[in-house]
Amino acid sequence: MPDNWGFVAAAYGLTAAVLLMYWRHLVRRERDLDTVRRRRS
Amino acid sequence: MSYARRALAIAWKDLAVERRSKETLNALVFFSLLLLFVFQFTLGGDRERLAAVLPGVLWLGFVLSALLALGRTFLVEREHDCWEGLLLAPGDKSAIYLGKLVGNLALMLLVEALVLGLFVVFFDIDLGRALPGLLVVVLLGTLGLAAVGTLFAAMTANIRARELLFPVLLLPVQVPVLLATVKATEGLLQGEPLGAVAHWVKLLVAADTIYVVVSLLTFDVVLEG
Amino acid sequence: MVKTLGWLAGAGLLVGLIMAFGVAPREVTQGNVQRIMYVHVPLILASYVAFGVLAIASVVYLVRRHPAADRVAHASGEVGVLFVGLGIATGSIWGKPTWGTWWTWDARLTSVGILFVMYLGYLLLRGTIDDPERAARYCAVLGIVAALDIPLVHFSVYWWRTLHQPPSLMKPGGFTGSTSILWPLLINLLAFVLLYAYFVARRVRLLRAEAEVTA
Repeated sequence: MPDNWGFVAAAYGLTAAVLLMYWRHLVRRERDLDTVRRRRS
Repeated sequence: MSYARRALAIAWKDLAVERRSKETLNALVFFSLLLLFVFQFTLGGDRERLAAVLPGVLWLGFVLSALLALGRTFLVEREHDCWEGLLLAPGDKSAIYLGKLVGNLALMLLVEALVLGLFVVFFDIDLGRALPGLLVVVLLGTLGLAAVGTLFAAMTANIRARELLFPVLLLPVQVPVLLATVKATEGLLQGEPLGAVAHWVKLLVAADTIYVVVSLLTFDVVLEG
Repeated sequence: MVKTLGWLAGAGLLVGLIMAFGVAPREVTQGNVQRIMYVHVPLILASYVAFGVLAIASVVYLVRRHPAADRVAHASGEVGVLFVGLGIATGSIWGKPTWGTWWTWDARLTSVGILFVMYLGYLLLRGTIDDPERAARYCAVLGIVAALDIPLVHFSVYWWRTLHQPPSLMKPGGFTGSTSILWPLLINLLAFVLLYAYFVARRVRLLRAEAEVTA
C-alpha cells in the first residue's frame, strides 16, 4: 500500500492546529481577565 | 399527604388537564398520521422493503411522538406560572417525578397503541404471535424514554433554547434503548420468540432500572431552583 | 505547578512525536499512514480519562456542592469533547486510505460518536444556563446520567454489530505487540494525558478568575 503521507500530515497537522488554537484561546482569555482585574484593583 | 398519593395526584391532574384540552394528544395523533402517510408514499409499494424497515419506522414514530409529549411535560406549570409551586412543594420532590412519569407513560402508551393500530391496518401487518412479546418491548422501551425524558424535561423547562436542547440531550442518551427496542421488534416481527431477543429485553430492563433510580435520586436536585 | 505540567506535556508530546516517526516501524500492510495511530488512540483514551473525571467531579459536586468540583467537571468536559472530536477526525483521516471510507458504523466508531454527541450536549447545557449555581447542579445530574449510560451504549452497540452479523472490519492496524510499536504509543498516551491535565488546570484557573470577576 502507498504511504499516504498526505493523510499523515493532515492528521498530525489538524491535531497540532486545534490543540494550539485551544491553548492560545486559554492564554488570551486569562490575559484579558488579568487586565480587567488589574484595572479594577 | 403520603408520597404515593402525591405522585398519583400529579399524574391525575396532568391526565385530567390533557383529557380536557387534548392539546398534546391531538398534536401526537396528527403527527402520527402524517408519519404514516409519508411512509406510505415512500415505501408503500415495495412490501419487502417495508417489512425490512418497519421496526425502525415504527420506533421512529414512537420516538418523535415521545419527544413531543415529553417536551411538554412541564408546559402547564411554566405557562401558568406554577413552577415556583413545584419548587416549594413540601416533602420528597421525587414524588413529582413519579407522578409526571406515570402521566407521560399513560399518554405515550396511548399514542403508541394508536400508531401501532394504524400501522397494522394501513400496512396490513400480521402481528399474531408477536403481540405479547411486542407489548413487553414497547412497554420497556417507552419506560426508558419517559424515565430520562421526564428528568430532562424538568432540566430544560426554564432554559432559553428549551425546544432545541431537549432532543439534543435526550436522543444520544437514549441510543441504547432505541437500538434494543428496534432490534427486538425486528426479531419479534420476523417470528422469533421472546427468548431469542432476551438479551435486548435484559438490556432494556437494566436501562430502565438505572434511569428510574437515578432520576428519583436526582430529581430533588433539579427542582432546587 | 501548572507551568511545570505544561512543560512536561510539551516535552512528552515532542518525545512522542519523535518516537512516532523515529522509533515506530513502518507498518507492513498499511504503510506509514498507520503512524496516525500514535495521535488517534491517545486522543481517544485521554478523552475517556476526561469523561471519567467529569463523572467523579459531578458526583462530588452533588454531594459537597463545592464550586471547585463543578469547575473541574466543566473543564474536563470541554477538553474531553475537544479530544474525542479530534480523535474521531484523525480516525476518519486514517480510515479513508486504509478502509476506503471516511466513516463506518462499526461498534467502536458508533460508540465514540455517541459519546461525542452526549458530551457536546453537556457543553451546550452549560452554555444555555446563565445562573452558575443552577448550571452546576443540572450539569452534574447530566454528567452522572451520561456516565451511567456509557456501559449501556457499549453493550447495545456491540451486540448490534456482532450478533447475526460477522464482526465488521477491525480498526486500522492491529497489535503485533512489538515494543517498537508499544513504547511510542505509551509515551504519546502519557503525553496526551498530561496535556489533558494541563488544559484542565488552566481552564479551571480561568473559570475561577471569571467567577471572581463577575461576583
